[in-house]
Amino acid sequence: MKLRKLTALALTVAMTLSMAACGSGAKEEPAASEPAASEEPAQEAENTEEPAGEEASGDYRVAFIARASADTFAAWLTREMISEAEKYPEITLDYFSGEADDNKLNGILEDCVTKEYDLVIVQVNDNAASAPYIKQVVDAGIPVITTNPAVHQGDLDGSDDTSLLEGTGTVDADPIEQAAVSAKIAVEEVPENANVVVLMGPSNNFHSDGRRVGWEQEFFSKRTDVKILYEDYANWNSDEALTLMETWVQGGTKIDAIISMNDNMAAGAIEAVRGNSDYFDADGKPTFLAYGVDGNAQGCLLVQEGVLTRTSLQDASLLAEQCIANAAAVLKGEKAPTDVEFYVEAPAINSDTVQQYIDMYVESGEISADGSLAN
Amino acid sequence: MNNKSKLQQSLQKHSIYIVLVLMFAICSMISPYFLKSNNLINIMRQSCVGLLIAYGEMILIVEGFIDLSAASVLALSGVLSIAVYKSTGSLLLAILTAILVGILCNLFNAFFVANVQVPAFIATLGMQEIARGIALYYCGGSNILQLGNYTVVGQGMVGPIPLPVIILVLITIAMWYLVTQTRWGRSLYAIGGNRNAAEASGINVKRSIYMSYIINGMLVGFAGVIFMARNNAGLPNGAVGYEMTGLTAAIVGGTSMNGGIGTITGTVAGAFIIAFLENIMNLIGVDSYIQQMIKGLIVVLAVAADIFSKRGKVTKVIIAPKDEEKKEK
Amino acid sequence: MEEIKMRVEHVSKSFPGVKALTDIDFAVRKGTVHALCGENGAGKSTLMKIINGIYKADTGQIYIDEEPVEIKNPIQAREHGISMIAQELNYVPDLTVEENLFLGRLPVNGFGKVDWKLVRTEAEKFLEEQNLSYSPAQTLRTLTVSDIQMLEIIKAITNNAQIIIMDEPTSSISQKEVELLFGKIEELREKGVSIIYISHKMDELFAIADDITVIRDGSVVNTHRVEDLLPENASQSDIEEATNVIIGEMVGRKLENVYPKMEVPVGEVALEVKDFCCKNIFEDINFYVRKGEIVGFAGLVGAGRTETMRAVYGLDHHDSGTVILNGKEIRLKDPRTSIDNGLIMLSEDRREYGLIPVRSVMENASIASLKNYIYGGYTHRAKERENVTKYFKKMQVKTPTLETPISSLSGGNAQKVLLSRWMLCEPDVMILDEPTRGIDVGAKFEIYKLMTEIVKEDKAIIMVSSELAELIGMCDRIYIMCQGRITGCLSREEFSQERIMMCATGLMKS
Repeated sequence: MKLRKLTALALTVAMTLSMAACGSGAKEEPAASEPAASEEPAQEAENTEEPAGEEASGDYRVAFIARASADTFAAWLTREMISEAEKYPEITLDYFSGEADDNKLNGILEDCVTKEYDLVIVQVNDNAASAPYIKQVVDAGIPVITTNPAVHQGDLDGSDDTSLLEGTGTVDADPIEQAAVSAKIAVEEVPENANVVVLMGPSNNFHSDGRRVGWEQEFFSKRTDVKILYEDYANWNSDEALTLMETWVQGGTKIDAIISMNDNMAAGAIEAVRGNSDYFDADGKPTFLAYGVDGNAQGCLLVQEGVLTRTSLQDASLLAEQCIANAAAVLKGEKAPTDVEFYVEAPAINSDTVQQYIDMYVESGEISADGSLAN
Repeated sequence: MNNKSKLQQSLQKHSIYIVLVLMFAICSMISPYFLKSNNLINIMRQSCVGLLIAYGEMILIVEGFIDLSAASVLALSGVLSIAVYKSTGSLLLAILTAILVGILCNLFNAFFVANVQVPAFIATLGMQEIARGIALYYCGGSNILQLGNYTVVGQGMVGPIPLPVIILVLITIAMWYLVTQTRWGRSLYAIGGNRNAAEASGINVKRSIYMSYIINGMLVGFAGVIFMARNNAGLPNGAVGYEMTGLTAAIVGGTSMNGGIGTITGTVAGAFIIAFLENIMNLIGVDSYIQQMIKGLIVVLAVAADIFSKRGKVTKVIIAPKDEEKKEK
Repeated sequence: MEEIKMRVEHVSKSFPGVKALTDIDFAVRKGTVHALCGENGAGKSTLMKIINGIYKADTGQIYIDEEPVEIKNPIQAREHGISMIAQELNYVPDLTVEENLFLGRLPVNGFGKVDWKLVRTEAEKFLEEQNLSYSPAQTLRTLTVSDIQMLEIIKAITNNAQIIIMDEPTSSISQKEVELLFGKIEELREKGVSIIYISHKMDELFAIADDITVIRDGSVVNTHRVEDLLPENASQSDIEEATNVIIGEMVGRKLENVYPKMEVPVGEVALEVKDFCCKNIFEDINFYVRKGEIVGFAGLVGAGRTETMRAVYGLDHHDSGTVILNGKEIRLKDPRTSIDNGLIMLSEDRREYGLIPVRSVMENASIASLKNYIYGGYTHRAKERENVTKYFKKMQVKTPTLETPISSLSGGNAQKVLLSRWMLCEPDVMILDEPTRGIDVGAKFEIYKLMTEIVKEDKAIIMVSSELAELIGMCDRIYIMCQGRITGCLSREEFSQERIMMCATGLMKS
């Protein structure tokens, strides 16, 4: 969101003033040639009207629009998309970032029509806000695959229609299922008359709301004895969750379980009680339960440590693999865009299964086996 | 001056502290948990990062400038500091790195503000994006994990008191000293009050500006260490909007946006007024949207009350000296 | 009995710790110029601000055309036909002439859009009527102070003002512009407009006023008809006598000698400036001042005196030349270097380069000599307080407390605080640029006396002034500048207004 302003202001300032041009140019230059830096493409897109992806000798030009470069998951998804696309020599992938700003993201969608891409893969911020613009792309005859989250017909017309937006396909994870994986077991393991707190992502976020529905269906509706002490929006952020949890703990009632809509917020909440003797017994074992979703590196480490009870994997590599594979199929005419409908599984991560995911992250370089600095 | 008007004057001069005490009293009545020592320590711990930023903002606003890059520079200092810690294992080196990064970013700010005379708003807005960009680029958008003993700066305890709180108290004393007891401190007020007059009075304005941004950089860098250590993760996209937290504390604490007026103690009071408010609303479970509304309202009311009490001075005290004159006669 | 346009009755006003006005009665006749005299802090400005609705009187009543009225704010004052032209003009430099003329009352069409065409034609009409040569689209930045002043007066007229208050309108304009202003005042008077005229310049008062009211310490001392004070075809001595009457009433004592000049033994050269140049601003500046001397700098506005002094002090850039202080050449870098070497400058622009308005009088006084109080790691506040108090006593600064913001002091008192600021630096050479501008007679006299005291202590003073009388009265020598060059240097026995003016206009070189 902040980065949006960079294009308008910082670069202008930087370029007008020679000193700034040297200083910041030097700092940002590597970013332009390095695909992993996903904040750069957006600038390039605005300033030079040139796609930032590497020009390969492909026949098909595909655009991938991530919701934000500062979002851990979106950044991961972008990386996976890029490496996946490299496996298809006939596909040239250009990637953009909506910087968590609907207006910006919609602008990029409009640009995609102008630039006549052959296919667009989009990860929206807000389904309703972007649905009309996705429709524009579809109307221009460009196939669209929505991913994480899927965009539905109801998002366009405000109805309850949950079929996919006309003319689009999707590769997504089912948020309800992601939560249900943990919630189904929580029904059994959360103690009777437990007091719990719930940490939500941004309000009206498709995945946050979906995961909350999963918890409602599989847990809260079945365990009416459980009391929700506090429930608040920590906006996917661990620092916000940390502050909230620190204060909730002062409320005097022992919190038996932390139910978080993602791993980041669960991590923040756990840091708030770390070292608190009410929450850890003499052996250093936690006396509370904690649930997350995403199965990211941080979540896995916490599961390994034994403080995060369960989470489920939202696998960006799987999403990317399916997106690109389906895109290739659509482009070659093997599949109609509307036939693309794939939901990745949400494998459960707990103390028994965590090691394989830790290994996965060590392999990807995100964490290291001995805890030293990765990358 | 008679006693009554003196009392009134000192009441007006210290209105912000009275608000703080009132706030404290009201909070302790609303929730039984508020006064618990754990909760009070918790409030202090939560205020650390915001206050460090607030001190920097306070001195800059007093001098007639601003720093919009504080939160981004905080994130950059934090993640680079963690990187150094993870590769060297030296906490001291890591902290020094954070401070150095803070200083470097603010030298950039100071150069454009003092030498090129770019408005501070623009220069630091640019830095905000640059620093955040570098932080995200460095981390590839993801968080740095496995901090090990780095967390001690944010989570460690010395007896019953959290380490960051002790650090905060020491820094507060140091800042109070710098602002009230040094020539640089005086120069802040003079430059903010009238830059031309300060220059004509022999104050080295450029040096003072550099000094202010460097001190701001040290504060922000250190805040970065505490922030990341508390979160047990290097968050390149963390602390978004914290510059506003700092600005709000400084302004509620009586710092004038027109420059020339503001104190460290007032800023502390301002920060705690907001911290008490947030804490009590969380304790009694106020919906976070409503929290935002109330917070916004209180900030405006607090500043309005401050302005009003100072403006009211004339009408309020007029009667007093008259009575006094008669008595004397 | 002539028609009374406006009068105030039993007006009193107090501020914390200060009784500003006590039971003021004051009446202005229609179509006259009513001068208001008094020392700074006597209450003139307070009274005017009450009439203009900026302050509210504690007690008393204002009558306009013998109708009691209530004026709560300047807008209401304007509705009652009162307009005030402030001493220190507040204007936005980027506003155009026409925007300024119609500020706050721009004509709009049915859609709320400003009718710029109408603005332009109206503005052009006004400017033409008033014989002003500038265009409506010019920004105020491009105009001189007197142009802007004229504009303010015209604005007042376009507002149909019946009573115009002018607070020291001539304090920062040239002689020629003063004549222009007086012409305009004459014109207004003939149209039946009443003018309240505040000034410290006695010769102006007798040239223009019909009535003179003297205020001292918040009370009216006396109101004179000028025709009673002066016989027709008054001689110079008549005017001097009348002046003495007014001044006597203002200060409450007789001023025996307006200029307390004393013979002080002159020592060696304290400051010498050689071949000082700055392209397009000044060139070939050579002058010196000896210990015990007061050296004046005369010249017309824009002759480059202030620019030269600012460069000598190190505040502005210069291209070449040397400055020798106490026999030692100093490298001019910044004011700090000059101050440390014993050279200070009191700026002519108090507001821009002197006062730090929001800070206390004490901080304002000590800001240039901080190293005397801040050393050894902390601030020696007791010492600071003691020193400041000492100089405040010496300078007779009147302030409620040392913590009072300097913005609430009167002009004369603020100037004395600034003088204290520089005295606290214990300088050897003091450049005083217009030290008595906008200051009342009593305070002026005090400042003259102080200057005498200062040179007695073996210090040197350079006084830049636009008032020839004070230069002639106070100086040992006078340098005259014209268009960036020194065109003359006169010693005391050579002083005469004519000779100075000849040099200042470039007609003669001595």
